[in-house]
Amino acid sequence: MDIQTLQQFNWSAMTPEFIILGVAALLTLLDLFIPKHLDRRILGWIGIAAILGAIVSVLSLAGGQVTSILHDTFRLDSFAIAFKLLLLAGSGLVLFLAVSYEPKDGMEEYRGEFYYLFLTALLGAMVMTSSGDLITLFIGLELLSISSYILAGIRKYHVQSNESAMKYVINGSISSAITLFGMSYVYGLTGSTNLLEIAKGLLTVQDTQHSYLLGLAFLMIFVGLSFKLAAAPFHMWAPDVYQGAPTPVTAFLSVVSKIAGFVIVIRILLTVFGSAASVGHPNQPILLDMQDYIAFIAGVTMIIGNVVALRQSNIKRMFAYSSIAHAGYILVALTTLSSNMFYSIWFYLLAYLFMNLGAFAVIQVVTEKTGSARIADFAGLYKRSPVLAVIMGLLLVSLAGFPGTAGFIGKLNIFLGAFYGEPHYVLASIMIATTVVSYFYYFGVMTQMFFRPASDETGKFNIPFGIIVVLVIAVAGSVLFGILPNTAFDFMTNNLNNLADFFS
Amino acid sequence: MGLSTKTGRCQALLGFDKIRVVPGTARRGIVIMMENAWLIPLFPLLSFLILLLFGKRLKEASAYVGILFTLASLVYSILVLFERFSEPTYGTNFEWLTIGDIHLTAGFEVNQLNALMLVIVSLVSFLVHTYSKGYMNGDERFPVFYAYLGLFTFAMLGLVISPNLLQTYIFWELVGVGSFLLIGFYFYKEEAKAAAKKAFIMTRIGDVGLFIGMILLFWQTKSFEYSEIFKAVDAGAVSGTMITLTAILIFIGAVGKSGQFPLHTWLPDAMEGPTPVSALIHAATMVAAGVYLVAALFPLFQASKTALLTIAVIGAFTAIFAASIGLVQTDIKRVLAYSTVSQLGYMMLALGSAGYVAGVFHLMTHAFFKALLFLAAGSVIHAVHTQNIEEMGGLWKKLKFTGPLFLIGTLSISGVPLFSGFFSKDEILAAAWEGGHPILFFLALIAAFMTAFYMFRLFFMVFTGKPRTEMKNVHESPANMTYPMMLLGVLAIVAGYVNTPWFGSFLGDWLVDGNPRLGHAHVEGPIWIMIAATVVSLLGIFMAYLMYYKRSLARNWLSGTGDTLHTILTNKYYVDEFYQLTVIAFTKGLSYFLRFIDVFLVEGLVKGVVGIVQGLGRTGSRMQSGQVQTYGAVAFIGLALLAVIYALTGGYLR
Repeated sequence: MDIQTLQQFNWSAMTPEFIILGVAALLTLLDLFIPKHLDRRILGWIGIAAILGAIVSVLSLAGGQVTSILHDTFRLDSFAIAFKLLLLAGSGLVLFLAVSYEPKDGMEEYRGEFYYLFLTALLGAMVMTSSGDLITLFIGLELLSISSYILAGIRKYHVQSNESAMKYVINGSISSAITLFGMSYVYGLTGSTNLLEIAKGLLTVQDTQHSYLLGLAFLMIFVGLSFKLAAAPFHMWAPDVYQGAPTPVTAFLSVVSKIAGFVIVIRILLTVFGSAASVGHPNQPILLDMQDYIAFIAGVTMIIGNVVALRQSNIKRMFAYSSIAHAGYILVALTTLSSNMFYSIWFYLLAYLFMNLGAFAVIQVVTEKTGSARIADFAGLYKRSPVLAVIMGLLLVSLAGFPGTAGFIGKLNIFLGAFYGEPHYVLASIMIATTVVSYFYYFGVMTQMFFRPASDETGKFNIPFGIIVVLVIAVAGSVLFGILPNTAFDFMTNNLNNLADFFS
Repeated sequence: MGLSTKTGRCQALLGFDKIRVVPGTARRGIVIMMENAWLIPLFPLLSFLILLLFGKRLKEASAYVGILFTLASLVYSILVLFERFSEPTYGTNFEWLTIGDIHLTAGFEVNQLNALMLVIVSLVSFLVHTYSKGYMNGDERFPVFYAYLGLFTFAMLGLVISPNLLQTYIFWELVGVGSFLLIGFYFYKEEAKAAAKKAFIMTRIGDVGLFIGMILLFWQTKSFEYSEIFKAVDAGAVSGTMITLTAILIFIGAVGKSGQFPLHTWLPDAMEGPTPVSALIHAATMVAAGVYLVAALFPLFQASKTALLTIAVIGAFTAIFAASIGLVQTDIKRVLAYSTVSQLGYMMLALGSAGYVAGVFHLMTHAFFKALLFLAAGSVIHAVHTQNIEEMGGLWKKLKFTGPLFLIGTLSISGVPLFSGFFSKDEILAAAWEGGHPILFFLALIAAFMTAFYMFRLFFMVFTGKPRTEMKNVHESPANMTYPMMLLGVLAIVAGYVNTPWFGSFLGDWLVDGNPRLGHAHVEGPIWIMIAATVVSLLGIFMAYLMYYKRSLARNWLSGTGDTLHTILTNKYYVDEFYQLTVIAFTKGLSYFLRFIDVFLVEGLVKGVVGIVQGLGRTGSRMQSGQVQTYGAVAFIGLALLAVIYALTGGYLR
């Protein structure tokens, strides 16, 4: 490849990635060269500016033709744009949390790394959304994963943080291995790593043995990737890692990393398995054949997440299980493969982004104040800080999926989809039943905040600017999209061409 | 009622199909009031917001904010009701949410049922607001209470003007939240907290049914709109099984909200809330929402015989079941709570027997007399500071207003002729008989007897005889508590006259006007039904009189008077003994038996489910050992399991 071929590529399609990459590199250098005593927080603000820049450039790319460069390994379609926006918005809010993060044991020495590792992780996730090739997908996945491993353990002198990072690395490696093994089957059957070529190649599979292998590959890839979603059976790392990691990192893992996980799952499953013929049903893609397995995993994930969350006394662990449960709800949308699946998942992740990050902002403030993360620490929050309590209440109500909030519309979309075409009664029933279960633990926190007397410590909270920004955006998003859900849908249809170009 | 023949004809022409009157298009008359009916729920919402923001500063003046805004709602509702008498149904919609080819709308509608409900809800809410000023006086969270009342009223009013199921569901949930806050208002009491939680969860179980039914119905008819659903049902676009299934699922929602068997257990517990809340929630609003939902979707239910029969059976069973439990309760509010459950069962029985008018009529009269009874009970509690009727007695002379007002409510609920409850109950009995349910009819008749009995037992124990405990400082409640009761007292008497077999069935004619699907305006039952209803209610009163009034008198007389009287009285006593041994023993036994079912079967079932969920939770968290090997192993085992299932079912080995 000479310089001329390189120049022929339409590099502008990668502008958002370049912005993040450039700023990440810049921050690394700045961290090296600026004097030790200077506050590294400025790096965080630069990071936020970079993310804003990237959002603007993504928006400017929206609505155009599908661009595919670098031998179809990088593609910019509506799907990529839609999910990149989510990733960027999520990371931006997480950075706001990070600049306000003040743990008791201090983290002045490594605060710089904190910021640019967020950016590299984000870069990995963004590459995943735009990948047209198994290799770039995997590279994006690993870039995200490795940055996250370090982030989880960034509080070097904190035992739990170390434990959390260790567990994360081990589980992550296992999941990568399983995913890669599955991918190798796909490569072996088609001789290509390009997603669209694979899809083309699989259209004509005649041998039933091949179909069978593909089914196995499907299971391996899906189970491997369920690690990123924190879905069953690969969910067990989540509570331990969430508990040990610094709060902004937990927020990052539960939102941005999860979005990235859904991106890669949708990319691979839909393009590779959406077209491959299955055993016995030549006209039916293998994905429909495997629907029951996705449904099974979705159901188990919802049950485990919601039921075990009931027994948690640590708020971060509780939110870990809650995030498992939410992954289960979104998997229901994936199972149904209804016509509004893309939109349902996108909207749910959008709503989830707002409500979960907002909740983590409150958690961060409260846990910093009390030094522990017990749910009991929320007792009497209404007395100590009515604003925080009301905001947290609103976000919990949205997480529980109550009408009038974005969480409700998200669940409604998924639920409508579940009855689209062939109704999935069992799955829908599990979803509703587990939602009812989820009321218990969400309202448990509410009871603590509003109905329990505060412990003797009744100091006022001083809420940092970064947290205020997150809370305002989170509440505005949760309420706005709950009352006027059409704003999100209109944006999606007007600017993103309804994701019809996913397969082209 | 101002129904001119001309407008009557107009209405007859207008079916449900024509209600899509969009503002700006041609329409009959000026409907300025109905056009802006969406304002009605907003007044209490405004009150809620103001009190939320400035409640702390307003202190006791918060009451005036709440009272004024609900008064505004009430006045507006009355104007809308009167406009609705002469104008056709008005409704408007806008597109709210579009997902792909799915279009969801939001809007509001004023049809007969909605207009009537608006008035009932806003009236009772207004009276409760006024009453609470006296009752809650001195409570440190006074403004919060009024804020919650506003939120609840907003939700309920929003519910009754919703033109589609989704919007109904949203407000339905909001009503649940409001009731949760209100029932748990005394959250420092463990019972209140538990009751609030129970109410919330139990009604949620019903809501699951409603939600699934609603979504199924949506995919069948492609719409959440009531009118569209009815059109699709009429056109035969939905299969019979599907109608039955969705109707029953939706009815489950109503079962939860309206405290029907087996989801009724939250309702008596909910008495832990402040008494005005009980009046609001258990007379006119939340519990009536279930009946309202069935009434609003009546054409759907009518399309399925099975669904109607289910409703009728559940209703009749609940009516007698709750009434029999009411016989042995000693807490004044709990007696009223069980009577509410029982009366709601009556309404369901009416609707299930295709007596749309009877059900709605009883909903209205019940709202008035039950609100009166609760408020009067509150006034009693306010005076004696206990809820145990064993500790009361002889309050008639001390509570000059409350006593007679309570009597009016009691007479009305017992179905004594000329009181409102008599007419509506008669209508229901006639509907049940004519609907071809003789067994259910007799169950309802026995329940009517029991109602008269336990209500008068309550009355006699509270107001007559001698005080059974020492009660100091018993005083009548302040004026802002007695005036609302007086107004309700008047309504508890006269409200029945809008629909009588003697003076014409105005309400019935109006309710079903232009809508043949809702059935007849008035069901003409045989004359003996009315006589039977009167006889059983008087019999119940008489027995209560003998047992709880006469007996206490007897003790006094025995001490000083002669043989003749003594013999007579002894004979009276034999009568009592006889009753005691036979009928009463039987009913008491039945009552305890049903209570047993209540405690062990229903609650046991609930506890079982909870236990399973908690057990799963325990197992799950135990597996979370912190050992990273376990986590990897679980993932591998999960994968292996899936692969094996795949091999066995889908692939290689097949």
